[in-house]
Amino acid sequence: MSLVSVNGLSISNKQKDIVKDISFQILKGEWLAIVGQSGSGKSLTSSAIGQLLGPNLRAAGNVSYEGMNLLELPPKKMRALRGTRISYIFQDYQGSFTPFHTIGRHFQEFLKTHLKLSKDVRKKKAEEALKDVGLQPEIYSRYPFQLSGGQLQRVSIALALLLEPDILIADEPTTALDSITSFKVLQLLEKLQQEKGCAILFITHDLRHVRNHADRILVMKEGEIVEQGEKRQVLDNPVHPYTKLLIEASSPLRKPATEKILEVAK
Amino acid sequence: METSESNSYRMRFKKILLIGALVVIAGIAVYTFLVLKYDPSFVNLEERLLPASLEHPLGTDHLGRDVLTRILLGSQLTVGYGFLALLLAVAIGVPFGIFAGFKGGIVDRILMRIADAFLSFPDTIVAIVLSGLLGAGIENLLIAIVIVKWVNYARLVRSTVIVERQKDYITMAKINGLSERRIMVKHLFPHLIGHVLVLASLDLGKIILLISSLSYIGLGAQPPAPEWGAMLNEARPYFQSVPELMVFPGLAIVTVVLFSNLLGDFLRDKFDVKKEVA
Amino acid sequence: MTLLKLKNVIKSYSNGVNVLKDINFSLEKKQCLGLVGESGCGKSTLARCVLQLDNIDGGEIQFNGVSLQDLNERELKSHRKNLQAVLQNPSSSLNPKLKIRESLIDPYLQFGNQARLKHFHYTNEKAFVTQLMEAVELPDALADRYPHELSGGQKQRVTIARAISLEPSLIVLDEPTSSLDVLSQASILKLLTGLREELDLSYLFISHDLSAVNTMSQQIMVMRDGSIVDHFSQENIFSEQRNDYTKELISLFE
Repeated sequence: MSLVSVNGLSISNKQKDIVKDISFQILKGEWLAIVGQSGSGKSLTSSAIGQLLGPNLRAAGNVSYEGMNLLELPPKKMRALRGTRISYIFQDYQGSFTPFHTIGRHFQEFLKTHLKLSKDVRKKKAEEALKDVGLQPEIYSRYPFQLSGGQLQRVSIALALLLEPDILIADEPTTALDSITSFKVLQLLEKLQQEKGCAILFITHDLRHVRNHADRILVMKEGEIVEQGEKRQVLDNPVHPYTKLLIEASSPLRKPATEKILEVAK
Repeated sequence: METSESNSYRMRFKKILLIGALVVIAGIAVYTFLVLKYDPSFVNLEERLLPASLEHPLGTDHLGRDVLTRILLGSQLTVGYGFLALLLAVAIGVPFGIFAGFKGGIVDRILMRIADAFLSFPDTIVAIVLSGLLGAGIENLLIAIVIVKWVNYARLVRSTVIVERQKDYITMAKINGLSERRIMVKHLFPHLIGHVLVLASLDLGKIILLISSLSYIGLGAQPPAPEWGAMLNEARPYFQSVPELMVFPGLAIVTVVLFSNLLGDFLRDKFDVKKEVA
Repeated sequence: MTLLKLKNVIKSYSNGVNVLKDINFSLEKKQCLGLVGESGCGKSTLARCVLQLDNIDGGEIQFNGVSLQDLNERELKSHRKNLQAVLQNPSSSLNPKLKIRESLIDPYLQFGNQARLKHFHYTNEKAFVTQLMEAVELPDALADRYPHELSGGQKQRVTIARAISLEPSLIVLDEPTSSLDVLSQASILKLLTGLREELDLSYLFISHDLSAVNTMSQQIMVMRDGSIVDHFSQENIFSEQRNDYTKELISLFE
């Protein structure tokens, strides 16, 4: 069942189109991965859904969610949707936190904005959420700079899933983390997804992260979708040469594809 | 988008002003070489306090000296000594700052305490004390200015070096086996030029004001030297009857200070364009 | 022949926390030794200690049979030309105010004839830069650009070219691919492998990416909380004898 359907989405700046007339659907509760290199327009696409594009960019087309076109929603309504029904986590976890507020204060502010709860209930809810992402409740009174990158990204996930959104948009959430931490964070994300049943739109340049978790894959290059389909179908029978290249460059460990990787890189 | 457009408009405006100022300076230089026919200290009591005429475009002073000649040659004294003081301050401060910042640790602490000691003297006091010790004169004033000003450059350079020192390219330079001198000269120095130029051009105005004001109260250039501050001082008794005698040197000072500030502004804008941003 | 040998190396922070706890390993000539671990495990500190950028608090670091930790900066200099490095972030490893050409020639200008090159030949600066650019498969024209005009992958190639310019015996590769996209990562790994064979280099390859380490190295060490917890030959990576932590890492990357 389709949750969000994107039809003929184009994103342009003053000079040219960066994303060119793309269409796809995000199904309820699925993990959809958009894969592509920097400049492919994958991040812009994810930003456009929540009206998070920069001031010089314009989106045209239709992104429908529950009968609304998200691109034309009044900003006030969009704000109410973001964080409750549609939530985001970003690559730059440091920028997602106010450095001089404790982690607890971030939870408090967020819950105060969206729900009417007493302070103690909010704290309790926050600590539960921290536990869910595998963090100690002590983290509640810490400051962002006292946490590691992996911990901070876990906190962002806890915040993003706090109100049980329909869709979580994860824009390169692991790019700034080391790969071991990345794998762990993604395992956690999958576990939480299964518990809460939200859809995930996962933006990445690294197919290795897609292999384990995604249901469907969408490959973008230079603003266009060059390939999309079920994960197994795309990974096992890639059609587009670019997809093949990406797959070869991120072979799993078990077939130590030294020769293969090196050959492709030529 | 709009802000960057208005920025570039402002840049262009400043550029035109600066080019204009340079043309004026070149004009003055040509004029002093080709046209100037008076000795700036030639006393001619028969022609004292003459109004402006073709012979004397800005008139003559109380000793019959040509005012235009004195103002133009005064620029050599005021601006020239200003530049000289600035150059010396930069030449002392920059290596001092690079060395302190790059070495760090105990070396840095000792050097910066020395700098702090210098910083704790206000410039006018140092100038007054020095002229008391060494006698009044523009050379002593210059020494005083250098003593006060070099510290600013040392501090500025040191703080920039401390920031740059921690970057990977300096680490790589060490790994590559570069000598410390080479790291300082080749890798750190290019990062400082912009900062130093901006501070120097803003400082030039201040130094010129300092030279003029101290000469005005008799601590700098001594009459009959055609220094602008000294000229103001000499013209003071005639302020009621011949106000131009004070107006023209005053205008000269204002113009040069303004130009120096403009130049500083322009350079600051210019160097703000960061190549580092990837 | 042993090129680098660490014996009981200890390093602690001023607050008493041990970052490196009794590190022992040796690296043979023409070998690539991989070191894998999570961020914060101490692997970058180890790199800084090997490169003599940080002092160690105990133990010994032998390079070509000489104990480096007791040498002063002047005595170290002759070893520097044999001990080079490529760091994680190519953008900050190049001086933004210098042209690529000027950055590339830096180590050679310092050492000149002492470098005793076998593979490259120095006739003049321009020809030397051309050889280096060729070695890392970059167009010569890029040499006149500034770092910010190059892509991340291209910049990393430049830092590699600089690292090989003196034909060192060991290059410490500290996360050389981590800040690059997947396709650039693969091509940088390929380049490094080729250069190692061509120039008889040895690598200490430090990364959190087990598949990259596995691709590059003959020997692999696993580091956790300042200790080396596992050390094995690449062909034994899937052996049952692997430490539990190593197995956990392997399962993540599968």
